[in-house]
Amino acid sequence: MRRAAGPLLALTVALVLADSAVVTLALPDILVELDASVAQVAWVLISFNLVLGLGAVPTAAGLARADPRIFAALGIAVFAGASAWCGVAGSIDVLIAARCVQAVGGALALLGCLELMVAEWGERRGVAVWVAAGVVGTAAGPVAGGLLTEAFSWEAIFWVQVPFAALAVPAALAVRAAPVDPPDRHPPAVRPNLTLALLSAALTAALFLLVLLLVQGWSRSPATAALTVSVVPVAALAARPLARLLRPSAEVEVAVGCFLVAGGLAGLALLPSAHLGWTVAPQALVGLGLGLTMDRLTAQAMELRLPRARHAGWTIGARHLGVVVGLAILTPVFTADLRAAEVPAQEAITSLVIDAPLPVEDKIALAEGLGEELVQQQGRIPDLHRAFTTLDLDPDERRAADTLERALDSQLERAATWAFRDSFLIGAGLALVALLTVLAPRRRRP
Amino acid sequence: MTRGGSAGMVGLALALVGGVLAVQLAHGGGTFEPLRVADPCVVREVTSQSDGIEGLTERLVLIGVDEAACELGVSRETLTLELGRGGEPTDAEVTALHDGLVAAVRRMKDDGTLPPASELVDEALDSADLNRFLEAALRALPDSLVDAALKTDDVLVRAIDDLDLRQVLADLDDQDRLEEQVEAAVTRAVQDSLADRVRDLV
Repeated sequence: MRRAAGPLLALTVALVLADSAVVTLALPDILVELDASVAQVAWVLISFNLVLGLGAVPTAAGLARADPRIFAALGIAVFAGASAWCGVAGSIDVLIAARCVQAVGGALALLGCLELMVAEWGERRGVAVWVAAGVVGTAAGPVAGGLLTEAFSWEAIFWVQVPFAALAVPAALAVRAAPVDPPDRHPPAVRPNLTLALLSAALTAALFLLVLLLVQGWSRSPATAALTVSVVPVAALAARPLARLLRPSAEVEVAVGCFLVAGGLAGLALLPSAHLGWTVAPQALVGLGLGLTMDRLTAQAMELRLPRARHAGWTIGARHLGVVVGLAILTPVFTADLRAAEVPAQEAITSLVIDAPLPVEDKIALAEGLGEELVQQQGRIPDLHRAFTTLDLDPDERRAADTLERALDSQLERAATWAFRDSFLIGAGLALVALLTVLAPRRRRP
Repeated sequence: MTRGGSAGMVGLALALVGGVLAVQLAHGGGTFEPLRVADPCVVREVTSQSDGIEGLTERLVLIGVDEAACELGVSRETLTLELGRGGEPTDAEVTALHDGLVAAVRRMKDDGTLPPASELVDEALDSADLNRFLEAALRALPDSLVDAALKTDDVLVRAIDDLDLRQVLADLDDQDRLEEQVEAAVTRAVQDSLADRVRDLV
């Protein structure tokens, strides 16, 4: 167990931070199965990030008076238990409550694991692996969640965490006693934490909104969406070799990263069609930006600052409260835009149906079916296919109906893409504000 | 770290972001949005996949809705959605629809797309519940006589005037009831038109 302890603790860190966004691709399924609204399902993400963000610093203070082994083991156990509770949640309210408990366990586990990993591998390597595990978890969370949702169900996202966490509890207890944490010596690193918070808010736009656009707006399956958004973690991995090749200063690396995230989000706001290929280049920009910034900023906020756990708490707080701020700004904007897009979408659909080369009786039957779908949409993207399946058409008319159905779907895709545009641009704006925090002149020490 | 490396990194980032955005905008990235509806006051060509009375009715309704929407200052699609939702239409909507349909008849007459009455007689008789001998006699009438006795535009305008458009809109999803109302209005319009012709001759 001792030998496996380090990797298992690193995996736990990745799992907890993956949970920040792991349900993103499952949200459309949760929305339907738990009969929730878009604003309610956003709280499945917000609650976890809010509790983790607010709880990280007080948890770090508590860690100073406890044995990190007990601390980490207890956190992992609570996290695993709450994950199982999420997996059996029968209502959106229960799921949100379970996510809050999961985040409390997550905060204990993250900080306890940091201390144990330093005890296991030493300061430099322990912190580096902790940071890297967090970045990998954050980037891979939506992909893993999407694949699990497609292969099994959204509940599987939570169940799969239980056995890993169950192994990590004895692993945490098996680590040798960690050294006593030194007293407070350094103030929090405000600038990198602020940049981290703003960038996390912007990255929320990239991952959360893009996934919703793919699954809800363009009606792609969670697996297709998962593969599509896997461009982000792959590009993030490519960022480090690129930085090694050019060897820029740390400030330039972070500034360029913020600029790339802003450019990628602007690219997502200006998609020329609903073809998945168009999302690749903007996502690659976001991924490169993520790879250049997140670990660098986390390292800057923690480097040589003691007590280590307290500064780790600040970075966790900054990242997750940034996600919450991003969701709090973006959710009302895109839900309002989605509602505003209903009228132009309905008018475009009406226009195409009126002018369709179909006999009058079929047009009337189709209009009735489409009308029912549009009335039921209530903030969701309607499924127009059902209205076409009931039509009794000869082969020529069927071809015309198929062409019409494709044209109507295109109008819905256009309306959805258009509705997400402002939110992506706001995300780009947040990344540019993060860039300003890097470029702002520093106060000279007297 | 190197100064050249930093400059290279900044240059590469500018090129990547600029390149991606330029390619996207060149392919219509700024204009990927739902179809914008056309101005109903601009005359557009209307077609129908159906022939005979059904095709004529569809074209009349399409032009009529355009004219009504133009009068009300809304799009054709907004008016269609409004009327199709099954709520009580306003007086302004009913009046605009009536005037629009009459205007549609005039426009089709002016541009020569209104068929002569003789072209519609056979189809009308097929659906009419008439005595066999009377039906055979009417079918035997020469087209010139039918066209001289009945003017399509006159019959249509009379039928539109006679129709209770509020009731027609309420029955939009009841095809049989709709046909019954239109048939009754057209029959009365034909009778009145013929009676007026005879009165003019006397």
